[in-house]
Amino acid sequence: MFKLINIELYKIFKKWRSYIGFIAIAVLVPVIEFALQIEGHKSIDFITRDLQQSFLFVGNLLNTYFVSYLILNSLTVHIPFLITLVAGDLLAGESTAGTYRLLLTRPVSRMQIVSSKFIAGLIYTFLLILLLAVFSLGLGYLLLGTGELIVFRNGIITVFAKNDIIWRFLLAYCSAVLSMGVVASLAFLFSALVENAIGPIISTMAIIIIFLIISAINVDIFQSIRPYLFTSYMGTWSMFFDKPLDRFEIVKSTLILLAHIAGLFGLASYIFYKKDILT
Amino acid sequence: MKKIFFSLFLITAVCFSQSKDPNLIIKNLKDNFKKVKDYTADVDIKVDVSFLKVPEMKAKIYFKQPDKTHIESDGFAMLPKDGLYTSPLSLLNGEYTAIYSGDELFDGHKTYVVKIIPLNDKGDVILSTLWIDQSENLLRKVESTTKTNGTFVIILKYDNNNFPLPVNIEFTFNTSRLKLSRNSMEEDNSNNNKNIPGNSTGKVFLTYSNYIVNKGIPDSIFLTKKKTLKN
Repeated sequence: MFKLINIELYKIFKKWRSYIGFIAIAVLVPVIEFALQIEGHKSIDFITRDLQQSFLFVGNLLNTYFVSYLILNSLTVHIPFLITLVAGDLLAGESTAGTYRLLLTRPVSRMQIVSSKFIAGLIYTFLLILLLAVFSLGLGYLLLGTGELIVFRNGIITVFAKNDIIWRFLLAYCSAVLSMGVVASLAFLFSALVENAIGPIISTMAIIIIFLIISAINVDIFQSIRPYLFTSYMGTWSMFFDKPLDRFEIVKSTLILLAHIAGLFGLASYIFYKKDILT
Repeated sequence: MKKIFFSLFLITAVCFSQSKDPNLIIKNLKDNFKKVKDYTADVDIKVDVSFLKVPEMKAKIYFKQPDKTHIESDGFAMLPKDGLYTSPLSLLNGEYTAIYSGDELFDGHKTYVVKIIPLNDKGDVILSTLWIDQSENLLRKVESTTKTNGTFVIILKYDNNNFPLPVNIEFTFNTSRLKLSRNSMEEDNSNNNKNIPGNSTGKVFLTYSNYIVNKGIPDSIFLTKKKTLKN
């Protein structure tokens, strides 16, 4: 099985499109960090402007943690596209290249093939988020140093002490991997259905956008649907920046995301297992 | 005869209607604080506000007469602007009218109650009430009403040292006028530009320690901007 996963990873990184996500992050994150280094004080002033009427602020709130939080907040909306570029091509790409028959005549079961592809897709997702974390925190540390983290969530301003931040980021990034894993799983499912990678990429993004719009519109009927949309749980990472942690909601959201991954993979496996290869 | 008695009555009434001079009381308060030429102190800051979750903070305060202040912190710290955290007399800068309002027992101390009305319209404070310790000429309590931030109350506690510098300041203020506006960090759409609900007062507790008084502080320290996020 490990050999199969290695082979799938090799195939992923052999394609130039797999590097788009890494390049995008490698370019965007430094640009954002340099820009915030110059004008990040305005963001902090904007968040705290009402408080600054009554309070005098001392210290360095513009640091790697603040910038990394902002980047994570912004990019979790855009990273799904970078993931679908690869996940949508995992199965459909074999069809486009005409290598399905070559692959399936090998002495490995369809389940092993689909599982190795899926795991390789999840590894790619993990590596993308890892790069995001390393660039955000690492480059931010070099440019801005560390300090306390100020977070504005649900109408509450929370300032986290220096020794109370890293573990939150670690868990937040893990949760982001899980959220993006659902995106990868959805793209993987569509990839099992079609023979061209474009379809899964666009379909996955369309579903994410539609779900996000439904969640954003403040209408009762949409609000009742919201708990059933996986996009409602993609922001679970931000719950690690609550004080105190809402453990129940975090566990619940994590289990829902895991259930989505398992369900989507299960469905994709079934479709692939039953698929009649005609190309 | 009736005219003599009436005149005597009037003179007595005038004499006893303003038995304490508020300006003298304020002068004694200021003179007492002027014993402090400069000081440094460590301050622990604890914030108790419903919409603000902040760990206990530490800062170092430098003060030099008449009004030079500098604050340093290794990490983040926030101090109430109106909290008199450097000089209890910062309320008494500028022109004002002082009115003696009576005596009151506050926190076990006999105090003069003096109302201060700033004559300058440009300031934020409309009216301040000071509770001044009669025997020690210390400021024990301040209640101020401002144009923009409502009313705040400051309670000062001292220990038995030679200088009129507090060891504890409790600052209570009105939070209901504060708005926390939505911004790029905020994900939840249901909290756009709303006033803070729930408990409408907040408190900040300042605890001072390690006072170093009248040892001399160079002016260059007050020119340092390094540790100040925003003044």
